[in-house]
Amino acid sequence: MLDLRKLLAPSRTASAHCDIPCGIYDPHGAELGARTVTKMVSLIQEAQEGTDPESRQTFVRCVKVKEEHAEIVKRELQILWSDYFKPEHLERYPDLHEKVWKALKLASKNKQSIDATAARDLEAAVAEIARIFWETKGGQPATKAA
Amino acid sequence: MNGIARLVASWRARVALTGHSMSPTLRDGDWVLVDPDAYRLRSPTPGELVVADSSAGPVVKRVAERLDPTSLLLAGDAPSGGGHHHEVVLAVSTVSGRPWFRYWPPGRIGRVR
Repeated sequence: MLDLRKLLAPSRTASAHCDIPCGIYDPHGAELGARTVTKMVSLIQEAQEGTDPESRQTFVRCVKVKEEHAEIVKRELQILWSDYFKPEHLERYPDLHEKVWKALKLASKNKQSIDATAARDLEAAVAEIARIFWETKGGQPATKAA
Repeated sequence: MNGIARLVASWRARVALTGHSMSPTLRDGDWVLVDPDAYRLRSPTPGELVVADSSAGPVVKRVAERLDPTSLLLAGDAPSGGGHHHEVVLAVSTVSGRPWFRYWPPGRIGRVR
């Protein structure tokens, strides 16, 4: 039986652990949130011209989605900040706290306002934190790099 | 022939599962065949099992939601609780296959979905 087990045993393991205590972190959630904020700002600006009920509804829904995703960006960044990044990362990237803090502030600004520049700034700030994240991981997995 | 090719490819991509977030569908210590071509021509849809290459290595999860064309919200089958969160957002491009058959332990051999 032992030999059969050896013969059949997989050479690789896949984790079905929960993310936070077990170390599955990814900046993709924050990046997606920031992209969604930008997209919503653009749709809001298009919809604000219309006065018919359909345009009003689109406007309200886009505002709601924008605010939700600004909040998602904050939550995802806070998870990376509090649970993933470690003192050795801060030694390598001394401005990491400043960058995360500014990105969180930008997310709040985007939640409060309809501002295409602020949305682009948020995307850039999140992209920079994602870059640092992947550098600390030694690069993105091959399937992500494409 | 297609079936045999799929079996061979799935055997090569087989994984041993660790952790409890996919319980009761998949349990810690299960060995499963993974079809690496299942999502080659299409993207996984909500409810389907996936193996994805996360920053912490391969993970097995279920697609909870397609967030946008490039992103999936993946979740475990076991209920979250006690500070454990089974959900993670990953790029569609990280998906590397579909677990479809448990071949170990002998008492639990069978299709998984």
